[in-house]
Amino acid sequence: MFSNIRWDALQDYLPLFLDGALLTIEITLISVVIGTLLGLFAGMGRLSGNWLVRLIPNIYVTFFRGTPLFVQVLLMHFAILPSLVGSTTPFVSGIVALSLNAGAYISEIFRAGIQSIDPGQMEAGRSLGLSQGQTMYHIILPQAFRRMLPPLGNEAIMLLKDSSLLAAIALPEVTYYAKQMAGSTYLMWESYLTIALLYLVMTMICERLVRLLERKYGSV
Amino acid sequence: MIKVRDLHKMFGSHEVLKGIDCEIREGEVVCVIGPSGSGKSTFLRCLNRLESITSGEVEVLGVNIADPNVNMNEIRKEVGMVFQRFNLFPHKTVLDNIMLAPMKVRKAARGEAEQKALELLGKVGLREKANAYPNQLSGGQQQRVAIARALAMNPRVLLFDEPTSALDPEMVGEVLDVMKKLALEGMTMIVVTHEMGFAREVGDRVVFMDQGVIMAQGKPDEFFSNPSNERLKNFLSKVL
Repeated sequence: MFSNIRWDALQDYLPLFLDGALLTIEITLISVVIGTLLGLFAGMGRLSGNWLVRLIPNIYVTFFRGTPLFVQVLLMHFAILPSLVGSTTPFVSGIVALSLNAGAYISEIFRAGIQSIDPGQMEAGRSLGLSQGQTMYHIILPQAFRRMLPPLGNEAIMLLKDSSLLAAIALPEVTYYAKQMAGSTYLMWESYLTIALLYLVMTMICERLVRLLERKYGSV
Repeated sequence: MIKVRDLHKMFGSHEVLKGIDCEIREGEVVCVIGPSGSGKSTFLRCLNRLESITSGEVEVLGVNIADPNVNMNEIRKEVGMVFQRFNLFPHKTVLDNIMLAPMKVRKAARGEAEQKALELLGKVGLREKANAYPNQLSGGQQQRVAIARALAMNPRVLLFDEPTSALDPEMVGEVLDVMKKLALEGMTMIVVTHEMGFAREVGDRVVFMDQGVIMAQGKPDEFFSNPSNERLKNFLSKVL
């Protein structure tokens, strides 16, 4: 089965794949950062005592967890962004869709992380005259963050893999080039197995990085 | 310093405090005793509004904190609290635990805050633990750090919520000694406690709470040797 695989055909495409991999990493990093910020605010909003403050993040999380990412990408690129801001590029649509989707999941990670901290910590902070925000920032979040590292790392890996869906809106990331290669050469194994391995290398590096972070900032 | 008038506290439909009237003067050490579930911790926690106030008046340092519009951060700066379970910040060193609030709330400079923190650690006998983390300390040591942390804000009054209840018996003494020292220095203290010996020796006044009301109060001597109230007699016979 593998005897007639033509690895030599990769020569032309490997540089493109590597370009695509860089874009995949770039998109993933940007979306993780924006998604984490969104997740932080949405997560804290969902913990608010005020139902009105909870409402918007609740709708947000319900929508983005309850619909397929692929559909969100299409909706964002072909419908929402064009009618909202006139025009968009695959890069912008991709980041918006991935960040919003990641933010919804990360908000749950934040919520669980914050809720796992003993309420006595908030009371101790408040009893010293710190505001709720100060206590959150100096006391609760640093402790919660340590517990959130493993699920956050997980989310980053998911995001990296899910960014392959952006090939559908012609964002030139790894999968996009693999489809191009497969389409013009009909070399399916060479195209798709190569990028599968590329993804595997990227996710393994990501996993290693998360483990290093865990060791550095790990549990209290 | 603190005036409480007709304080009521409901948890849902359950009334935990059923009209508390109490006044605490500057420099006074008031010990609050009573069976569990009597509302003594809730009462204490209403004094810095860690528990919301259902109705009544609670005047702390001249401000009625039952008013929901009061800026509690301003009041809490002046009202220190020591918790049963210490509630030290586990991700910070002992020194940083103590320095945090003075630097963030009082905007003290780092050097000044550190000097004060070391001084307070000396006072509670833990100067050599400045760079340790809370989980490296015994319960008694943690509670002494918690007291130093509360003192770092220069509070006008200190609230103690069963400060020795979570401690192994051999560590109770070291914490009570620190509290005694504070009392002798003239600190205003309200202490919810099961330590009758401490209440008797250090308290200026003992308050007995049961079923959400203050059943009896008085000077420790007469209070313990000649209890007037039936419930109090009954309670004392169980704990003494």
